[in-house]
Amino acid sequence: MRKSLDALYLGAGWLAALFMIGVLAMVLLSIVSRLVGFYVPGTDAYAGYAMAGAGFLALAHTLKANEHIRVTLIIGKLRGGARRGLELWALSVAVLMSGALAWFSWRLVWQSHTFHDISTAADATPLWIPQILMGLGCTVLFIALLDEWVLEWRGQRVRAEGDTRHE
Amino acid sequence: MNEFVVTTLLIVALFALLGSGVWIGLTLAGVAWIGMELFSSRPAGDAMALTIWGSASSWTLTALPLFVWMGEILFRTKLSESMFKGLAPWVNALPGRLLHTNILGSTIFAAVSGSSAATCATIGKMTIPELTRRGYPPEKIVGSLGGASTLGLLIPPSIIMIVYGVAAEVSIAKLFVAGVIPGVLLAALFSGSIIVWALMNPGKVPSADASLSFGEKLREARHLIPVVLLIGSVIGAIYSGIATATEAAAIGVVGSLILSASQGSLNWVSFRDSLLGATRLYCMIALILAGAAFLTLSMGYIGLPRHLAEWVGGLGLTPGMLLIALAVFYIVLGCFLDGISMIVLTMGVILPTVTAAGIDLIWFGIFIVIVVEMAQITPPVGFNLFVLQGMTKREITWIAVACLPYFLIMVVAVLLLYWFPGLVTWMPSKM
Amino acid sequence: QTAWDLPAAYPATNFHSVNLASFASDVDKATGGKLKITVHPGASLFKAPEIKRAVQGGQAQVGEILLTAYQNEWQMFGADGIPFLATSYAESKKLYAAQKPILQKKLAEQGMVLLYAVAWPPQGLYSKKPVASAADLKGSKWRAYSPATSRIAELVGAQPVTVQAAELSQALATGVVENNMTSGATGVDSKLYEHLKFYYDVQAWLPKNAVIANKKAFDALDKATQDALMKAAADAEARGWAASEKVNTDTLATLKANGMSVEPPSAALKSDLQKVGATMLQEWLGKAGPEGQQLIDAYRK
Ligand code: NA
Ligand code: NA
Repeated sequence: MRKSLDALYLGAGWLAALFMIGVLAMVLLSIVSRLVGFYVPGTDAYAGYAMAGAGFLALAHTLKANEHIRVTLIIGKLRGGARRGLELWALSVAVLMSGALAWFSWRLVWQSHTFHDISTAADATPLWIPQILMGLGCTVLFIALLDEWVLEWRGQRVRAEGDTRHE
Repeated sequence: MNEFVVTTLLIVALFALLGSGVWIGLTLAGVAWIGMELFSSRPAGDAMALTIWGSASSWTLTALPLFVWMGEILFRTKLSESMFKGLAPWVNALPGRLLHTNILGSTIFAAVSGSSAATCATIGKMTIPELTRRGYPPEKIVGSLGGASTLGLLIPPSIIMIVYGVAAEVSIAKLFVAGVIPGVLLAALFSGSIIVWALMNPGKVPSADASLSFGEKLREARHLIPVVLLIGSVIGAIYSGIATATEAAAIGVVGSLILSASQGSLNWVSFRDSLLGATRLYCMIALILAGAAFLTLSMGYIGLPRHLAEWVGGLGLTPGMLLIALAVFYIVLGCFLDGISMIVLTMGVILPTVTAAGIDLIWFGIFIVIVVEMAQITPPVGFNLFVLQGMTKREITWIAVACLPYFLIMVVAVLLLYWFPGLVTWMPSKM
Repeated sequence: QTAWDLPAAYPATNFHSVNLASFASDVDKATGGKLKITVHPGASLFKAPEIKRAVQGGQAQVGEILLTAYQNEWQMFGADGIPFLATSYAESKKLYAAQKPILQKKLAEQGMVLLYAVAWPPQGLYSKKPVASAADLKGSKWRAYSPATSRIAELVGAQPVTVQAAELSQALATGVVENNMTSGATGVDSKLYEHLKFYYDVQAWLPKNAVIANKKAFDALDKATQDALMKAAADAEARGWAASEKVNTDTLATLKANGMSVEPPSAALKSDLQKVGATMLQEWLGKAGPEGQQLIDAYRK
């Protein structure tokens, strides 16, 4: 279980990194096509979808790397049960919000599909296809936060102590 | 519903969620949700997903992840080390010494990048480790970077000027030109403040390397060639028409990869680390941007910024008082909303008042940009603070305090522009 | 009391947005404050491409969209964007009359109601260099911002270039773009005269903005309010078309005052462009099928 969850986060993170390369490739393609004199419709739109892929799919991986930022001024000063309580509260809010994000992202995909919502730009992409990236990324984040919640509850959460300095 | 009650409730919710350690992006989304459920009759969920998708996939933003990546690549080269080697002999005599690299670097990079978060992330990746290693005081490193990197907005190209130019129907080209003198002025004020601080605290600045003859200084300057080539090629690509300002970020990434290869520091490990590092740093910013986009939508439905702007507009103030009121209004709003949202949400209401007061719209654009720059470094919602927190792992309150002097300098700059409006209007009038 | 939100994409000072503001205040007056419409101009609530589905999904009860933008979804939406089909206000009104019933039917199927539609001023050709015939456009960098504009570029032998509106000013200054086809009004709004010196009033097409409402929200109103709303919409439509003509005259004068050469196309350019128009009409009919043919027949009747 632990292994497959970690693989899920890392795999999504790698997919996000590939989309990051996709952003670069699309922008370069639009520069080069103009210089050389051919026309690739929709490079700007594809760059946008790739950016969305890079942002959403990396959410869980970034969380596990402890790189999503938050204010730890109070949590950092607490010890023992109080700290655990506050961590559980923060994680509960996060689970709730990421759950809502995931749920409504999939609803967006479904609505775009039923509305036949198509990109108005030259790419004419049916929008539900790239929007799947948002649904996937938010779902993996939801799973990762749930995972953190359970670990905190069981007292097994590995805290990167000293990661946030207090002055 | 009384505006005062709405405002108070939302601010309390914001501070409660932030203070209890909820991740910042999720906090913003949470406050937006609470606001929509309580104070508008609109269902929140579908609107949230639609607007977050729109902002996360918007082409306008594509320069941000690419510049972040460029910073991560350069961080793994010898570029910053050699840049400091080349600069150090020249700034030895200047009080504050290498701290000025933050100002100089941000000012130059601002001419490449249209966003302050990108400027902060790219320059910070190079200067923070090097300045820390050399023993400069952390609050000066972080503060001067946080303050100076907001110049990304004022020195062209600038995303925020495009947004304002479209809303106010003023020439974007003239706005860009109008930003140059105030941008250089602000950079000079930042540098000046470091000089004053260094003269008052001589013990806090690490001692200089051995002083060199002019010839030796010139020889050391050869270390600057790579960075000059890199920045020069990106600016050159923009002004020769090879790439638009947004696309230039891609040239920056390719240039950095070439530079890294030519120095022998490009290998699979450094490429992988830079790519994954950039993806995570961008993802951190993207989650906050997503929350901010939803908060903007929520504010649009509730109408809070609009009503406040209407109220300020309806006070019947003299032009001078109106500007003071607007400065206070935008500084307060800037604590809670990001710059582009502030402009988009209020311009429709504010512009008629400003026009009626006879205020020049180009001048007002520069005024707005500087006020938005301040918003980048005021807590709780300030994007430069977030980027700095991501890079230094320090508390946001500590970073905000470090940035405070630079906030005050921007207030001084606004006053100077008010007394000498020609600083803004002279260059565009020559076009 | 019912409150509606109306997202719109264009700045508050644009004539469409000004008209929306009067429309909202007319509705307020006519219903005695029973229906309050808040206009959110300048993409301050939803951005242009999101507005249609925001209305469809009920996130906004009413919204303003550029019909031709939705051609990818359904060819009929793009009928007013076929170049050189309807090139004057009179022809454009005739095309609208032919288009209206099928628009209403389609929007009803999608759960929306058409309130009114107003044309933009006719699209002209902005150029860095003088253009005597299509041959002068060969190889030049032509801004493509829609499937139609990129197809015109290909047919006249120009190179379509993707540049977003936000970066247009800089792209013109640095030579990334040399030609752009848009209305005199947009040219004034985005200050195209700063970089381009020639405007040819080719009157390629008159795209329309449509104001659409969510059908559920509309049906939830009582009959009297619905009637008042439709009456205000009809007034707004008449007012909008008149404003559009006035804006067209005024903006062409503004372009001239700012040192642009504003001229009708030469006979050669005109005939070259008409050939392009004929080709594109055939291509459009190929995609639109019998439905499209019926529309064109109705228009030409
Ligand atoms: Na800039
Ligand atoms: Na702020």
